[in-house]
Amino acid sequence: MQNNVTNSVEPTAWSEVAPAQSEFRRVIRVFFSRKIAVVGLVLIVLLVITAIFAPWLAPYPPNDIDMANTLAKPSGDHWLGTDNLGRDVLSRIIYGARTSLIIAVGATAMSVVLGEILGLIAAYFGGIVFQIIMRFIDALMAVPMLLVALIMASLLGGGVKNVILALGVGMLSVHARMMCAQALSVKQNDYILAARSMGMGDMRMMIQEIVPNAFPALVVVATVGLGAVILAEAGLSFLGVGVMPPYPAWGKMISDGYKYILSNPALAFSPGIAIMLVVFGFNMMGDGLRDALDPRLRGVV
Amino acid sequence: MNAHQNNNLIEIKNLKMYFPITKGLLRRKVGDVKAVDDISFDIKQNETLGLVGESGCGKTTTGRCILRLYQPTSGSIVFNGTDISSIPEKQVRPLRRHMGAIFQDPYGSLNPRQSARTIAGMPLIVHHMIDKKDLDDKVAELFNLVGLDSSMMDRVPHEFSGGQRQRLGIARALACNPSLIVCDEPISALDVSIQAQIINLLEKLQKSLGLTYLFIAHDLSVVQHISDRVAVMYLGRIVEIANSKELYQSPLHPYTKALLSAVPVPNPVRERERVRIVLKGEVPSPAHPPTGCHFHPRCSIASAECEEFIPPLNTISGTHQVSCLKV
Repeated sequence: MQNNVTNSVEPTAWSEVAPAQSEFRRVIRVFFSRKIAVVGLVLIVLLVITAIFAPWLAPYPPNDIDMANTLAKPSGDHWLGTDNLGRDVLSRIIYGARTSLIIAVGATAMSVVLGEILGLIAAYFGGIVFQIIMRFIDALMAVPMLLVALIMASLLGGGVKNVILALGVGMLSVHARMMCAQALSVKQNDYILAARSMGMGDMRMMIQEIVPNAFPALVVVATVGLGAVILAEAGLSFLGVGVMPPYPAWGKMISDGYKYILSNPALAFSPGIAIMLVVFGFNMMGDGLRDALDPRLRGVV
Repeated sequence: MNAHQNNNLIEIKNLKMYFPITKGLLRRKVGDVKAVDDISFDIKQNETLGLVGESGCGKTTTGRCILRLYQPTSGSIVFNGTDISSIPEKQVRPLRRHMGAIFQDPYGSLNPRQSARTIAGMPLIVHHMIDKKDLDDKVAELFNLVGLDSSMMDRVPHEFSGGQRQRLGIARALACNPSLIVCDEPISALDVSIQAQIINLLEKLQKSLGLTYLFIAHDLSVVQHISDRVAVMYLGRIVEIANSKELYQSPLHPYTKALLSAVPVPNPVRERERVRIVLKGEVPSPAHPPTGCHFHPRCSIASAECEEFIPPLNTISGTHQVSCLKV
């Protein structure tokens, strides 16, 4: 590895073959050469910064009710106006970023870990194991994700923890299917046969041969999945079974604000635009990662 | 080469590999694809056995049975004194380091996400035969052996050319110092000029390391060049097996004759004189092979008895065996 670093620092003539450089550097380079991916990354970084530094960034506490100043139009005091309880919309969006991010990361982490382990085991061992796991996943998939989440949320009640659980289970099937399909296709390759012929064990085979080759697609799906979770959480909150008021959540803000969409459009539109930007950001980042993680593009860009 | 020494590295007896054909929701078995149907042969220490036949005749399946990538339906495969045909995978694993495999497709047989170092060193890692710190030295040694530059260790497979990839595949097959290497069409996917290099490399390695090869191919002239003995397969069965020279000069089985008559001669005068035996019909499906001799529907000398009796593999002279009632 030290060799790598010195190699890539050394100036080389154009005619020479590109020096072997570390995988990580290459991924970074390809990723940053895609403008749209960088836009996505910037949006996501902004989201993360906003979520972490919400108390410092927000001009008002998110739950401060100001009954004298309800449904105010955007102004110097309240950049995006106030809602029907006089709470500052901008502050609530900033705090809402926190809710969205926690839920997105939590639910995605849960569904990715569980789903991909299930999918990998199903695809690798095949036969009866495959049938049992995948039929269970199919059953889960037959019910729309939002409905699964809706049922779970209404059984367990709202709140961040339960929303994570509900969406985590809801997204499980997506990741399990993806992993299963990827692993099945990777399994067809001769290098798996080669690995088996050299006597590689099941565990090493899955972790070293199959997962790395399934990885790019999984990263893309997981990244896009983060966006989908944010959208689904907004949906749940909009339907009133998501995050409990007065906790700020974008979906809830839209559902509260759409009644005033003609008189005070900023109320519903601004959280809507926030959702849109974040989902867009995750999708673009996913695309960029897909390009960057593809080893066939090594040295092309 | 000491091909006539009487110590067999691998002995295959009555090997059968049937793949079930299933149908419907309940996966009811409706038949078998008889990919390998009762074959027997052995390979001596330090010998190269060529295995030829057209696509779908079961040569790759035979190779994979020997590597125990498939569990044979029946029969025995005695490798170095151990019957590996029916022991559980767990017990096969430690034996695997004595066998290497080279695959046809140099693109598909190398994990695109591993560096050349990991690929070549993986067998050693799997069998705990090396310390992490010694890996670089050992891999460099392997690279040297197969004619790759050890500065290429950090590259990933797609940064190599086809020939280099196949060399990397050979390095991997050699890593554990195996005694047998199953070469499954190792040159079919390469350019002609590269083919010669790889063949020469394989021959050189055999001499210096005392390797035994099962060389599966469909290019008859290449097989003749590299093999000590050649076995010809047709529809899951061995029809003829003989010394390479003998087989090419005096083939006995009508299928072998037809196969050899299809080899172009690199001499325009003699090429014009070459009489081609063109077989009628297509290769029957191995799911429904013909009765008796599998070859009889396409054979020019077949008679009624060929439809009834499965011809045994008769020894004609010395090591020349042929499976035909008419010979």
